[in-house]
Amino acid sequence: MESNGLAHEVGDMCLEATDLWFAYEEGPSVLKGISLEIKVGDFVALIGQNGSGKTTLAKHFNGLLRPSRGRVLLYGEDNREHPVAHLARTVGYVFQNPDHQIFSATTREEIAFGPRNIGLEESEVQQRTEQALEYFDLTAYADHQPAILGFGLRRKVSIAAVYAMRTDVLILDEPTAGLDWKSTHELMQRIVALHRTGHTIILITHDMRLVAEYAPRCLVLRDGNILADDDTREIFRQADLLRETHIELPQICRLARRLEPFNPGRNILTVAEFLEGYGNLAERMR
Amino acid sequence: MPVGVDLYLKRQSWLHRVDPRVKLLFVGATIMILLVIKNVFFMSAALLLVHVIHWSAKMPRGKFLFIWKTLLPIAILISTLWVLFYPTGPPILEIWVIRITVLSLAQGGVLALRITTMAFVVFAWLYTTDHPAVVRSLVKLKVPYEWGLTLALALRYIPTFQGMYGMISEAQQARGLNISQGKGFRRVRALMPIFVAMVISAMRASDQLANALQARAFGASGVERTYLHDIHFRPLDWAYTVFILGVTFLILYMNLRLGFGKHPINLI
Ligand SMILES: Nc1ncnc2c1ncn2[C@@H]1O[C@H](COP(=O)(O)OP(=O)(O)OP(=O)(O)O)[C@@H](O)[C@H]1O
Ligand SMILES: [Mg+2]
Repeated sequence: MESNGLAHEVGDMCLEATDLWFAYEEGPSVLKGISLEIKVGDFVALIGQNGSGKTTLAKHFNGLLRPSRGRVLLYGEDNREHPVAHLARTVGYVFQNPDHQIFSATTREEIAFGPRNIGLEESEVQQRTEQALEYFDLTAYADHQPAILGFGLRRKVSIAAVYAMRTDVLILDEPTAGLDWKSTHELMQRIVALHRTGHTIILITHDMRLVAEYAPRCLVLRDGNILADDDTREIFRQADLLRETHIELPQICRLARRLEPFNPGRNILTVAEFLEGYGNLAERMR
Repeated sequence: MPVGVDLYLKRQSWLHRVDPRVKLLFVGATIMILLVIKNVFFMSAALLLVHVIHWSAKMPRGKFLFIWKTLLPIAILISTLWVLFYPTGPPILEIWVIRITVLSLAQGGVLALRITTMAFVVFAWLYTTDHPAVVRSLVKLKVPYEWGLTLALALRYIPTFQGMYGMISEAQQARGLNISQGKGFRRVRALMPIFVAMVISAMRASDQLANALQARAFGASGVERTYLHDIHFRPLDWAYTVFILGVTFLILYMNLRLGFGKHPINLI
């Protein structure tokens, strides 16, 4: 990707929540005193059971929800002071369901919608739109109606539409749900590329393989509280902690754990690491 | 409002126990009366009465507020338009081209009260009757099952669409759509991305629903439906029916013969 125009240095404070409480009207508290820091350039996975509050928390980052108590700072400024349309310049949010945003007559217009909203020059809008189409292999569908594309393509359109806004922060709410393995990995490669150019990524997912493979940092939510916030490797070492919130490690991690007596001291997260550590196991067992 | 919850609220109250057909009769009769009567005092009394009914049926305060919040803008708009554009009788206030009269105030009040009261009456029915009961009452009244189910599904989807509206509006705002910009036509244009996405989602949902119903053999021919919970008239329900019919005929008779409630201010 060309110039990303990031306004902040990697490592600066990006998002900061202090004692964040939230309840939907008349309901019980969904977030119960969450405090966290996310730095520019972080790649954080937000995990936890259904209903643990992941989406609710993420919606505070771009101001869709406002804290009942406590506060959320974006680059040091209180989120409450800006409308969502303004925060959307900085924080991009890809929703769980692509159909909640697709409305345009063509894929091209759908993607141009966001950049136009943030007040870019028309030439810039077009340039970004074409680039996003190309980046997500959607050029062939540019003049198609996005609403009647297949699910995988609609998903891509919805992500490309947010990508074209080139926000510093990108929140993806279960972007790979319902995608096949190939599409999932192609998508993740693109997200990793964005991360390399200094974008801050917040990934909500139930797929622990993706977390293990791509997200260096992991935030575990349980029942509106942060159960753990650490390096993914560190968190995956604590299988008991994860089991407490009904998260099961990827098979490869569990297998590696069982095989540890043969190759102690290894804390394996991915297939690649497994092959590296146990590739010659068969020979050694002989 | 939580996503996907329907209007029905499970409670133990006398109104919940009333046979759904009686409630349907009540809704029909009251709407007829409310359309015939044009008197502001009668309307106020009717509105007060439905509130008492709601309250005795243990409606939570949040629901009252919700209905009021939804209706008030519409009611105020309609009555204001009436007062401004249909002044009749001697004026009590004249500013430039605007003439305000006691009569038009009363008529505006009747319109606002009528809409609000009708809405509360319909809500009283829907809040105390679950969908299966709604369908069954219609079927017992010889409405084809398919029609009854269609109505029940339509009711079932109101809150779903509300939730859908919320999520779509959030998704578009997250892409920088400013939904509070402009007035009138410009405002409507700003909301287009939300409306269009809603129509698309709604069509997709109805398509899936139709498939799901068929996949579970809905509408298979030559099948006599049985019901898990059948509904029965209790003696009390007969009493309610007689009472509702009696009061309705009385009011209509007084209206036709004695001119009861024909004038916006004077009762007779
Ligand atoms: N609009 C809403 N109104 C009321 N309650 C809500 C609303 N949205 C979510 N909730 C409730 O808040 C809690 C947290 O929901 P949230 O969607 O944040 O969970 P999640 O971790 O994203 O779950 P999932 O993995 O299923 O997406 C749940 O108990 C849910 O029922
Ligand atoms: Mg969620």
